[in-house]
Amino acid sequence: MSAAFQFDDNPCRPRHFKPPPCMPVVPDGPAKRALDGCRPRLLIMSLAFIIAFVVIAGRLIQVTLLPGSITVPRIARFDPVPPPPPGRADIVDRNGKLLATTLESPSLYANPRQIIDAADVAQKLVATLPGLNRNEVYAKLTSGKGFVWIKRHLTPDQAYAVNQLGLPGLQFQHEERRVYPYGALLSHVVGFTGIDDNGEAGIERGLDSSLRGRQESVQLSIDLRLQYILHEELARVVDDFTARGGAGLIMNVNTGEILAMVSLPDFDPSHPDTLDPRHPEWTVAERMFNRVTLGDYEIGSVFKIFTTAMGLDSGATSMTGRFDATYPIHIGRFTISDYHGKHRWETVPEILMYSSNIGEAKIALAVGADRQQEYLRRFGLMSAPTLELKEIGRPHYPAKWREVNVMTIGFGHGISETPLQIASAGSALVNGGILRPATLLKLPPGGAPQGTRVISAETSDHMRKLLRMVVLYGTGEMVDAPGYVVGGKTGTADKVEGKHYAERKLLSSFLGVFPMTAPKYLVLVMVDEPHPNKSSHGYATAGWTAAPAVGRTIVRIAPLLGVQPVDESSPSIVQALTPESMQGKRIEAY
Amino acid sequence: MIRLPTLFWLIIVATTGFAMFAVKYQVQGLADRLTRTVKQADDVERDIRVLDAEWAYLNRPDALAQMNQRFLSLVPIATKQLRTSVADIPMRPAPPPLPPPPPPVVTVAATAPTPDAATIPAGNSTPPAVAPPDAPAQVRLDEPVSAVATESPNPVATTPHEKRIAAAPARPTAVKTASRQAPTHRAASLNELIAQITESR
Repeated sequence: MSAAFQFDDNPCRPRHFKPPPCMPVVPDGPAKRALDGCRPRLLIMSLAFIIAFVVIAGRLIQVTLLPGSITVPRIARFDPVPPPPPGRADIVDRNGKLLATTLESPSLYANPRQIIDAADVAQKLVATLPGLNRNEVYAKLTSGKGFVWIKRHLTPDQAYAVNQLGLPGLQFQHEERRVYPYGALLSHVVGFTGIDDNGEAGIERGLDSSLRGRQESVQLSIDLRLQYILHEELARVVDDFTARGGAGLIMNVNTGEILAMVSLPDFDPSHPDTLDPRHPEWTVAERMFNRVTLGDYEIGSVFKIFTTAMGLDSGATSMTGRFDATYPIHIGRFTISDYHGKHRWETVPEILMYSSNIGEAKIALAVGADRQQEYLRRFGLMSAPTLELKEIGRPHYPAKWREVNVMTIGFGHGISETPLQIASAGSALVNGGILRPATLLKLPPGGAPQGTRVISAETSDHMRKLLRMVVLYGTGEMVDAPGYVVGGKTGTADKVEGKHYAERKLLSSFLGVFPMTAPKYLVLVMVDEPHPNKSSHGYATAGWTAAPAVGRTIVRIAPLLGVQPVDESSPSIVQALTPESMQGKRIEAY
Repeated sequence: MIRLPTLFWLIIVATTGFAMFAVKYQVQGLADRLTRTVKQADDVERDIRVLDAEWAYLNRPDALAQMNQRFLSLVPIATKQLRTSVADIPMRPAPPPLPPPPPPVVTVAATAPTPDAATIPAGNSTPPAVAPPDAPAQVRLDEPVSAVATESPNPVATTPHEKRIAAAPARPTAVKTASRQAPTHRAASLNELIAQITESR
């Protein structure tokens, strides 16, 4: 007030020009100096606010008017419920058929502290759920714990029935369960998981880590239809000849994809540790054993194709080369003789056609120990094969490679290989000479691996002709798949028992490839300890057991694989698949 | 006294407040719906998985083989049933020799003057007695492919189609087609057969 009065002291001031009552007092002296000191601070503060508002305004303009410049999502992510925990990926076949899937299944548990009448509950549960023991359930329900499992993995119907009982104290826990719709059909391929979803066999074990927590399914190279046909034909030959077991494999020779893989006896992946009621003599371990990839066998005469191939490829012999197979070879305490020998000089094609042990031993000698090992290494027959399974066997061969070993290995004794390796190396012999690793995963079209060249294309061409000759005139005559130009090689080996060969225990196998004009697929069947029957006239050799099974399989699978039958007697095909040295000549039958 | 600007700001505040709450409740409702929908989708997905597994189970090859045995009795295709091109398909066996076609002039002379034959409605159960000899020739020309099939002349037309044809010969058009020659020799190949068909049109 006193300050206003000071202004009003001016008499000349117009009446209406009255300063507002809040007019700042501008005193002189120390107060004025203090106020003067505040001004720059005020200025700084207001500048700061102005800058802040300008920034906010600029940001507003950027966000609202310039849509392109927005970096934040337009609608913030909104997850009302957390996504279901990633389960285990499905396994499908090459055509998308579901081979293994994960389903939610309720498991029943009880809180005994909430149970009112334990005896009544136990009675009702046992009546509703099969496989429960009343006393056990009663003991669990009266245990006084807070949590006891009653039964795990109920079917939807059972869960519904338990719900209908309406008993307090019973709860469901949702668990996941692996389901294999095709049961034993793919037992060794797909394998199975344990109760906590750990893969314990097959692909489930081999690709366990990549199956976990993966959403999209894993596609195998297996074709379910071929798998069924091979399974059926193999089971038939095992049954017919009351064999101990069998192994079968269908492979695409140009990519290495395995289209079907069967090992008998097999198991149901849903109940892997139970016995087969039809064959109680099969132990669980025997049924789990994968004969295709884990078992290694002295495959016998099938191995001769590798000896012949290395003989031709190394230049040790040629298609017109001849060896004396008149007399058995005696070396040390061994005698190498022929099963159905011609007892004369034989050409290289004849040695393979008539499956002459003497001839192959001499070819192996001509190749020599070093080159033989070198070729076997190239064919992948000296090391364990690679596959997406953990059940992988490795070959066994003598540590010291003596002359007698060179000869016996020449016709497939003294070296044991898994059928998988035989198939892979066999594919390389006919597909132009390129070895590609076997795979159980479907390759994209044109996605076949580069592979490594193991023999020349010319040798591969010779091998096609030779394998065709074996089926036309040699030991493989019983294949009988007219129209599909099958070629192949039989092998009948005596099984090793301890340190000796068991005379009456055979391992009969046949490796067939079709169509020989341009090989596409390989079918390998191996029968373990077949026993002769009436229809085979007392024989249990490969020509009577495995070869017809391969023939029947080929006739059934070829239409599915789009291989068209041709007239096998047409001159162009006959000429293309007959070795030059044998063209126009009469060929002696086996 | 409330001044005008104050009133203005009050209204603005009330409106924005109301709008904010409205939007908020709307968002909450939408979120609830989304939750429900996601849960439903999950349920449906779970059902699909179960149904997929069941479908695979019901389509087990051995189960299909059993059902085939019971209901269909299909057998695998034999190699000789497979043919890679149309040219490989064998032709039908030659038909038994056809009876010599009656001279069409006689037919016209016999049927044309009778007005009754022309007025008989189609589908009549008793065709005129003179018509039958003409019927096979008519059928042959309508469907040239069946010319090579075994078609024995039937004295009484049985299907309505044939009856209509049988009743028709009084019309001049029918006489015209009847006078044309049907291909008599059996075609040796598919191309020849097609040529014959186009010729007869």
